Amino acid sequence: MNKQIPTLLIRLWRSLWATLRHAWVKRETVPYPEIKRSLPGRWRGRIVLTRDPDGEERCVACYLCSAVCPVDCIHLQAAQLDNGRRYPETFRIDFSRCIFCGFCEEACPTLAIQLTPDFEMCEQSHGELVYEKKQLLIEDQGKHPGYNFYRHAGIAIPGKAIGGGVSDTPPVDHDTNLP
Amino acid sequence: MGTMHIDGHEIPFQENDNILKAALAANIEIPYFCYHAALGSLGACRLCAVEIAPEDPNKKPRVVMSCLEPAKDGINVSVSAAAARQVRQTVIEFLMVNHPHDCPVCDEGGECRLQDMTVACGPPYRRYRGRKRTFTNQYLGPLVHHEMNRCITCYRCTRFYQDYALGDDLGAMRLRNEVYFGRFQEGPLTSPFAGNVIEVCPTGVFTDAVFRQHFARVWDLETAPSICPHCSVGCNTLPGARDGTLRRVCNRFHPEINRWFICDRGRYGHQYSEHPDRPLTAQVSGVKVSYREALAAAAEQIKAARDRTGGLGSTREDLESNAILQTLLNKLSGRFATFSDPQLETATTAAVAALQSSGGAPSLSEIEQADAALVVGDLTTHAPMMDLALRQAYRTGAKLAILHSGPSLLTRFAATTLTVAPHEIGAHLLHLNEQAATASTTSNKHENEKKLADIATYLTTAQRPILIGVSETMAAPEITALAQLANALGSRARLAYALPGANAYGTALLTPTNSTTAMLEAIESGQIQTLIVMGNDPLGDTRLGARWREARQCLSTFIVSDCVATATAEAADILLPVAAWTERGGTFVNYEGRAQGFAPVFQRAEPLPNTAEVLADLAHCLELALPDAAAVLSNIFPGYQAPLPGTLGSSLSAFPLTMQTETPIGSAPLGHPGHWQVTLASWYGDDVLASYAPALVELAPPAAALIHPTAALKERIEDKEQVRLRGPAGTVVLSVQLNNDVAADTIALARVTLAQLGVGHGDLLELERIS
Ligand code: SF4
Ligand code: SF4
Ligand code: SF4
Ligand code: SF4
Ligand code: FES
Repeated sequence: MNKQIPTLLIRLWRSLWATLRHAWVKRETVPYPEIKRSLPGRWRGRIVLTRDPDGEERCVACYLCSAVCPVDCIHLQAAQLDNGRRYPETFRIDFSRCIFCGFCEEACPTLAIQLTPDFEMCEQSHGELVYEKKQLLIEDQGKHPGYNFYRHAGIAIPGKAIGGGVSDTPPVDHDTNLP
Repeated sequence: MGTMHIDGHEIPFQENDNILKAALAANIEIPYFCYHAALGSLGACRLCAVEIAPEDPNKKPRVVMSCLEPAKDGINVSVSAAAARQVRQTVIEFLMVNHPHDCPVCDEGGECRLQDMTVACGPPYRRYRGRKRTFTNQYLGPLVHHEMNRCITCYRCTRFYQDYALGDDLGAMRLRNEVYFGRFQEGPLTSPFAGNVIEVCPTGVFTDAVFRQHFARVWDLETAPSICPHCSVGCNTLPGARDGTLRRVCNRFHPEINRWFICDRGRYGHQYSEHPDRPLTAQVSGVKVSYREALAAAAEQIKAARDRTGGLGSTREDLESNAILQTLLNKLSGRFATFSDPQLETATTAAVAALQSSGGAPSLSEIEQADAALVVGDLTTHAPMMDLALRQAYRTGAKLAILHSGPSLLTRFAATTLTVAPHEIGAHLLHLNEQAATASTTSNKHENEKKLADIATYLTTAQRPILIGVSETMAAPEITALAQLANALGSRARLAYALPGANAYGTALLTPTNSTTAMLEAIESGQIQTLIVMGNDPLGDTRLGARWREARQCLSTFIVSDCVATATAEAADILLPVAAWTERGGTFVNYEGRAQGFAPVFQRAEPLPNTAEVLADLAHCLELALPDAAAVLSNIFPGYQAPLPGTLGSSLSAFPLTMQTETPIGSAPLGHPGHWQVTLASWYGDDVLASYAPALVELAPPAAALIHPTAALKERIEDKEQVRLRGPAGTVVLSVQLNNDVAADTIALARVTLAQLGVGHGDLLELERIS
């Protein structure tokens, strides 16, 4: 028993010394919420719907995000404008169920749905955590600027007829059999 | 017939099977695009490659297309062989070279064969970085959306549209790798079966234009086995709903009825359930009330009227509702009827009686096997899928004969067409009977006589002749005459009738003799004070609508339950809205007497009761003990077991009906100058429910008075001239359209026009020129 006393004392002094040393080290903790840390861009927080470079809604209401969502918290209804553009008539995310896994962002073929580094979403009731489209849709391209799905797709929209996509040839004239 | 080996499994096959067909039948997966069980093999897509081991071990194995290679006894086939896999991967990679980047905006996504096959066989990434070939799209009408970039040239669409359904306005154009599938000129597809290209096309070239307006992915749809409520064929369907609204209807395979297809009425008629005017709230004297209040009001009136209560069932109400309504009326000692027109009642009951004594109608797959057929009336518009079955018979060489008085799409395929005025149909049938009995080859000069002799020859020389009558446009004696003809042809001949309504067969079994006339007279004489109408539209009846409207004034209370806003529902004192067919379960008995169950697909946000439930609730308010539907039905039909939804259905063991009236076939009415016989010019979307489906109704032909050119010449009427038609219920001004398919002295009119005029098929009408 007596043999252990010096070892114990050494351990005790070592931890005391470490504590003492840290008293003069630069602090990592910040007094949140007075001071807010900037989070990395890939942080998975509040979800937004972004716009394409032309300022139009990016989401084409393909339902892939709602299909992949493991907790089934995305609900939307597709609609389309007469000119061929598809958009979600309603888009709803229940953030009281969302587990911020980022699967929706991964699944989205148009880069519309994106997770942002914002996590401050406290509300008094569950109902207020159900975000509607007007709360989700932002006026920005988010973290993937420059991509416009319709420039690559085959369908026609105003300003882009069939054959006008970035990798399209002009449409075939099917009324003739000449080469 | 034999067995072969596929990757170590023993696979049996039938004679003339190819490897793919036999493999699919044994649940072995071989990837494919262009093969289709109904359309056969073509060898267009090259995806179904398999490797066959050589018999001689010194030779090399062969890679073949399994859809084109006949199955042979003892061969060793490998789906997983590296060479076969390589072929499939290359095929997919080449298909993807020009395929658009469309999946997110493509309605096929989720049920796309190309997606599935690409994931199953293709390379994971596109290597090609060049430019893609593109095609413009066409407007193909309100039902089918066209997006030609997505085509993989499997030719399934044209093989269905042209070869199978015998349509002529969709085909392949141009050449090489630029083959285009569309119409010669933009415009609505004209085939009554056009919607099937949506299901047949393995990609998103053809998609459902109605579903597109309110689209949901297939994985989000609630579905349940259902039965089409739009005609007496009873095709099996798979409706899809989401968020409390119905989105689409698809075919559901039934081996003896519709198999892989349904008609456009069945596919698009469902829009009635989302019609903005659909009654969803109960009403008493036009004021919206709760269901309970409306029920209490109805019960109070029925209690007061007691045995002076009448109940009108319907041929489009299910078996349960009709049977319970009948039981309720029995308890009240009231009166029960099911039809709004006595002529329709006698014709339908005569048809059912004839079917019972003829040993049952042939199924659609049996109709396809016919080698001669006689059709009386316009089959396409009354039982579209029966028409498609006859087209299959025609493709295999069957002789079709058509006896009709107005336009019919089937006449294009007929070997002999006999166009006679409605009143002469009966006489012609009798004549045919004589001809068939004597088998005499009269060298008569008259053209119609010759045609009759031809028809008699087809029918008597055929191995599997089929006689089909459209009961709505036939009088009871004509129905009987057709049945006698079937009888005279012996046991090889089969008899079928297209009946008016999805449950017309079942309803006819419950109908008391001459009940419609009795009901009308009882109302008019004040014996009935309170009338309950379930899913019927007597006030909108073509012939007797005006009389019913007057009779309605004699009633103190008019109780109506329906799922569409018919003229009758609008005139109701107490309106009890009920669930649409996709929202409820029940049983329909189709034209063969096959009872088929259907299940509720979804519930609306505010669920509505079905008709049987409304009646049960009503009985509860009346303090009457009413047995449940199963008990009522097993009382009526010995040994009745409710057919389970999703099964093949079962035949009803019913007591035989007797023919109601044995009136002889009358001679044609004397032609007064200025009087014309009326024939119904229907169209394939024409049925009470489907007439509330906006996209389908867009295709309805414009109202016109169709007259044969010769008749027009005789009366000096010109094409497109305005004429005034005078009927018992009103006057209508229409423009004349000359049509070669209308009989002499006959004028063909749409159903709405008939209702405005107050005339039915076969009645007389005054025509007046406006000069
Ligand atoms: S995956 Fe993207 S484009 Fe598709 S519905 Fe979701 S947000 Fe819209
Ligand atoms: S056809 Fe299939 S693979 Fe092509 S875009 Fe549509 S869903 Fe995608
Ligand atoms: S349109 Fe569809 S069905 Fe027709 S060939 Fe192209 S992929 Fe096949
Ligand atoms: S044939 Fe009749 S039952 Fe079949 S889908 Fe068409 S309307 Fe419906
Ligand atoms: S299925 Fe055999 S080639 Fe297409």
